[in-house]
Amino acid sequence: MAAYLEQLVNGLVLGSIIGLIALGYTMVYGVIQLINFAHGEVFMVGAYASLACYLWILPPDLAGTWYIALPAMILFGSLVAALLAIAMERFAYRPLRGAPRLAPLITALGVSVFLQEVVRLFFPDAKQAKPYPTPFIEGGITVHLGDGQFTIAYIRILLVVVAIGLAALLQLYISRSRMGRAMRAIANDPDTARLMGINPDRIIVWTFVIGAVLAGVAGVFYGGYQNTINTDMGFQNGIFAFTAAVLGGIGSIRGAVVGAMIIGVVKTIAGQLPFLGGTQYDYVWIFVVLIFMLVFRPQGFFGETERVRA
Amino acid sequence: MNRLWTVLSGLGFAVAAMMPWVTFALNDGNYPAKSTLQFFDAPFLLTGFRLHLLVIGLLVVLFTFLPLPGRPRILRAAGWAGGLISLVNGAYITFKGGGLGAITAADGKVAFAAFVGVAAGALLIWSGAKAAPGIEFSWPERPSRWLAYLALLVSFAGLLLFVAAILTSGGGITNPYSAGQFMSFLAMAAGLIAALGATGVLRWIGELSEQHRYFSLLVMLGCALGLPFTSAGNEYWMTVAVNIGVYAATAIGLNIVVGLAGLLDLGYVAFMGIGAFVAANLSGAAAAAFDIHLPFIFAAIAAALVAGVFGAIVGSPTLRVRGDYLAIVTMAFGEIFVRSSQNNIGGLTGGSNAIPGIPPLELFGTGFQESISIGGYKLAGGVLYYVLIVLLVALVMGVFANLKDSRIGRAWIAIREDEDAARAMGIQTGRAKILAFLIGATLAGLAGAVFAHKTSSVSYESFRFTESVTLLAAVILGGMGTIPGAVLGASLLFVLPETLREFQDYRLMLFGLALVLIMRFRPQGLVADRHRRAELTTVDDPVEVAAR
Repeated sequence: MAAYLEQLVNGLVLGSIIGLIALGYTMVYGVIQLINFAHGEVFMVGAYASLACYLWILPPDLAGTWYIALPAMILFGSLVAALLAIAMERFAYRPLRGAPRLAPLITALGVSVFLQEVVRLFFPDAKQAKPYPTPFIEGGITVHLGDGQFTIAYIRILLVVVAIGLAALLQLYISRSRMGRAMRAIANDPDTARLMGINPDRIIVWTFVIGAVLAGVAGVFYGGYQNTINTDMGFQNGIFAFTAAVLGGIGSIRGAVVGAMIIGVVKTIAGQLPFLGGTQYDYVWIFVVLIFMLVFRPQGFFGETERVRA
Repeated sequence: MNRLWTVLSGLGFAVAAMMPWVTFALNDGNYPAKSTLQFFDAPFLLTGFRLHLLVIGLLVVLFTFLPLPGRPRILRAAGWAGGLISLVNGAYITFKGGGLGAITAADGKVAFAAFVGVAAGALLIWSGAKAAPGIEFSWPERPSRWLAYLALLVSFAGLLLFVAAILTSGGGITNPYSAGQFMSFLAMAAGLIAALGATGVLRWIGELSEQHRYFSLLVMLGCALGLPFTSAGNEYWMTVAVNIGVYAATAIGLNIVVGLAGLLDLGYVAFMGIGAFVAANLSGAAAAAFDIHLPFIFAAIAAALVAGVFGAIVGSPTLRVRGDYLAIVTMAFGEIFVRSSQNNIGGLTGGSNAIPGIPPLELFGTGFQESISIGGYKLAGGVLYYVLIVLLVALVMGVFANLKDSRIGRAWIAIREDEDAARAMGIQTGRAKILAFLIGATLAGLAGAVFAHKTSSVSYESFRFTESVTLLAAVILGGMGTIPGAVLGASLLFVLPETLREFQDYRLMLFGLALVLIMRFRPQGLVADRHRRAELTTVDDPVEVAAR
């Protein structure tokens, strides 16, 4: 029993990471209907940037103090991720606005492959997985249950709290702030929004930036609890995150978080069940869930009914 | 006045080509190491890129005074070609060889010859544009049958030699400078094609081959089969050509799904994988799950059928899922396939051990990997595989061409343009879309069967997401919805890594960049389809429309 509970907790932790990435997918898709395949790569770059900050920017005597190291790494990782997202939007996606829908999707694929390779080739020793420090208090809470027990590391608890907190803040921002209203207006009808004096380019860049910052945060926490990062992490988790966004209903903040939690739990629990194939097949079940969701409820849990787009 | 500039730049090319000799004289016979790529194989001969440069230079001078149709464009093409050749050689030797010194003493570190060449190219591009247009000339629209046949024969034979020359231009894998030589040859080739395009001869040939369709298909097939007799007819290039053929056939299949029906499939290589695994299991490999050895033809049919069935299954969500979501579903299927075969599902795929030892094909007791001789002429090993793959590609091309113009092909194009309108016109969209997936997957399965026998070992690693992206890139680069496009794209994407081995590490990075750039600057691909062109360059903005 304890094993399943442990996996459930692991699932929620994984779900929090995925959720933070999924928010970026869902916002960009919600505003410009683009599957930003490269968003997973933004997350990956965020993780590598924060590692670089830890290794080369932070003075060694400060790097051990978590309340300095963690914010610094998050700040730097998010900053690099945000700059990357701005560049990506400016040079890859903006020129294609108004092009047929296949074009930006293929561009996004290209950007994704490109970024992954750039990091793999040019980050020192990035061809193998890189060890990542734990930028938080070591140890955790031990839970006793029946005759079993397991430990939840503090950084995992912090991660879940941060993820849900950020999602709640984002929800508030989108629904209350002036900028949030502008985003919803662009999503609803770009042409009319433009007539109302909203500058679509600015809003869209801002959307990318918010998503990238969240992905950067996710990157730091991912490294912190996995203890290694590699250049594949963006692609894999990006797919999960997109799946989560679709599951929850694309464009919905709540949906992205709920979907991500479901994905995380499905992955860890499926890995625990021998008759589902164990950990070797845990990925497969995520995709099975995705396929069934897309086929039977493409609008997701919280999504509006799909509009037919020309 | 303008003529002066073009003549000057032509002479510049010639000077750049000759400069290494000057160096030789200046240094009293001591040739600075690594002065030019050719130094190593032919220091005193004017071969390779230096010959090209010289020829371009002299031709430019000649063309300046010769009345030619489309002269400005020809001159500019020559400028690009010469400039790029110089650039490639200068950059290549500077970075790889430790310094290119053409007209310097001792250990020349500066690529003077390259500078001269690049400057001449720039000058020619600038001045060529303003050159007086040549004479008006129109190619005969409906030439007599025999003239047309002759033109087609000559041009396809020329194409064959051209392809063989491009393939072997790098000098093979043992040549440490193969990438540089290949790239400078490519620059030359691109210039030649552009210049020919400027004279209108390419379009003329294209129209002729439209008019005499079956004849040109026959000639093309004959030329393709003639490759083993050219300079590229060794075992290495036969193997490369077979690989290209496998991926070209697969790319044509993908072109049905993506190019014609407009359904983005991101897991397409899985079908090729399924075909390969089926063929591997049915052909008596030691690690196969079944202990049977079917003749190739039956194994191939089984592979195609099984892949087709999976294609229909993967295609079934298209009934409800559209656009981006469909791309994700197909990618999910692709990932499921990779994961499952990695874990050796049902003992069918060998997992990380792969399925090794698939016996090579045989015909009348001759193994396909052996070399054969025809009429005393000994052909390289693997020629029979090459013949097989050429026939397979021809078959796939035939299927594609016939489908494209058939009722179902028009239905696919209608669905691609506007699914709702297509349905309103009475097209059974669901059936048509599943059929697209089914046929595409069948072709991929067939290609996979050949792949299994050729490589003799099938592993899940050959069918990962990267391969799907590569195939997609081939289709897009070549031009969606066209046959030559798919073949050209597959050839480029699978020849380039062979000839540019030194940059192998950067292959995927350049891929990604290429995808972005193509979508940005030439979304219709190298060979544009008429429908596609109209679709991809739609301009909605009334201001822009008015400006055109």
